[in-house]
Amino acid sequence: MSYLLRTLTKKEEVDSMIRDTIDKLLVLRFGRSSDSVCLQLDDILSKSERELSKFASIALVDVDSEEIQVYIKYFDITLIPSTVFFFNAHHMKMDSGSADHTKWVGAFHRKQDFIDVVEEIFRGAMKGKLIVKCPLPPERIPKFQLLYKDV
Amino acid sequence: MKEPSETKHSNPDNVPTERNSKTKEKNNEFEFCKVCKLNHNQGRRHNYLPNHVKSLSSFLSRFQSKLSDVRLFLKNPSSIRPELAFRNRFWCVFCDIDVTEHGSSFACENGISHLASADHLKNLKSFMWKHGGGMNRVNAFRISEADLAKYEKKCISMKNKGASEQSRVPLTGPSNDIHNELKFDYVDNFDRSHNSKFPNGVLPLQNHTNENYQVFHSDLPGGYHDKSFLLASDAKPSNNSTAKSFLNEGYLNNRQREADTEASSAGFQKLTRISSIVQEVGPGNVHSGAPPPWFGVTNGSQLDCVVKRRKSKLNPKRVGAEWAERRKMEMEMERKGELPAKQFDASWLPNFGRVWQSGSRKDSRKEFKVVETDKSFKDDEVNQSHDSSLLQLQPYISKRKRQEANE
Repeated sequence: MSYLLRTLTKKEEVDSMIRDTIDKLLVLRFGRSSDSVCLQLDDILSKSERELSKFASIALVDVDSEEIQVYIKYFDITLIPSTVFFFNAHHMKMDSGSADHTKWVGAFHRKQDFIDVVEEIFRGAMKGKLIVKCPLPPERIPKFQLLYKDV
Repeated sequence: MKEPSETKHSNPDNVPTERNSKTKEKNNEFEFCKVCKLNHNQGRRHNYLPNHVKSLSSFLSRFQSKLSDVRLFLKNPSSIRPELAFRNRFWCVFCDIDVTEHGSSFACENGISHLASADHLKNLKSFMWKHGGGMNRVNAFRISEADLAKYEKKCISMKNKGASEQSRVPLTGPSNDIHNELKFDYVDNFDRSHNSKFPNGVLPLQNHTNENYQVFHSDLPGGYHDKSFLLASDAKPSNNSTAKSFLNEGYLNNRQREADTEASSAGFQKLTRISSIVQEVGPGNVHSGAPPPWFGVTNGSQLDCVVKRRKSKLNPKRVGAEWAERRKMEMEMERKGELPAKQFDASWLPNFGRVWQSGSRKDSRKEFKVVETDKSFKDDEVNQSHDSSLLQLQPYISKRKRQEANE
């Protein structure tokens, strides 16, 4: 599924993607294309890319790549797939009731969920908000557990 | 005495008739203005109507743009392949003729010679007189003899060069032959399939005209027949020999027709190969992100206008608005080549609110950098500790002792 979207494997690529996406929401999916949940998410992303193309651009980031490790550490990515949102090179957070507000962990249940989330974040960003509330009902938010510094 | 009275009599009769005839002429004499593509009965008055003036200027500018292509070849003549010659023709709007390039070895050779010809000048002048383009612009729509002479000189020198470089020409030749051969093969197959593949006598319509295809099946004596064939069999139902001769005739016709289609499809298949023309187009195209050609040098500001209008629509308080504006400017500069692209640091990181971070997003980046540098510093220390073991370890000597020793 990953061939449908742009896959970034270098830090410079991610950098330039973040820097050159202006007034559009950037969706970065961290994961690997062999993982089944990633495949599920990629499917949703690729299907909605065209519909969202006016206000969002989507890129995949390969977590196995050596040169990406800086970002893996910086973004505290411990579970894949993790989806991080950026707007004008600013990180966009979302309060989804889970432990991690900084990213979306796991796949979306359906395409519309993803579109809703992207739309909500974009709207928030256009109003100057750095954090938004998740528009999805809690039963459609994947559950996970975070461990603080491997404790 | 009689004469004046006659004249008096005649005058009142004549004047109105003249007037009538004049107005009639005005009203009735429709003529076609090929600039406006319009039949009108306004005579010379038409030339001064704003619509005519507008369409005349666009008409002339269209031809001017066509001419500029030709002038390009005038300045640097380029040879042209004979199979491409038929693409490279142009319609002279003043002379109403299609200037083809058959039998010319250089691009637009015939066109250039036409534009320099006396016929063209004559037609051009009459056009300008009739439609009011301004006689002073005549030279813009023709090519002077001096230019033609220069061009011919260049052509001759090119030909001489070409003679020495002719080893290159055959390289392109065979590929065309292969192309044609392949296609002929395909047509041949089609030929055979006519006889073999349609047992029901149903033929696909190759030529979508109402040509009568002669269909024949020797194994089906009473099978499907063409209209003409049916007529014949009605006339002489028992005569097999005539039917057979018809069959043969039909077969021959069919073969001939197929030969025709072969020829026509051969002409049709030559639609390929545009690259030689495209190569000469300027530096950028759609894929390289160049502005479209209709935004010329003068209209380049239109793009900026579009961007500015979009800018104002966006919320100025949106996330990272300042950054976006700055970055947009930078990107614009980079695109124009005023700034070297990708000047940013390799260690650049975006603002990111980390999971366990309580401070601002900038803080998290700072902390991350500190941790990273610490780690690398530690790594360095580990490396250095190996080196430091080599350093001489000296016992501590107090300051006073050192001073005493110095004294």
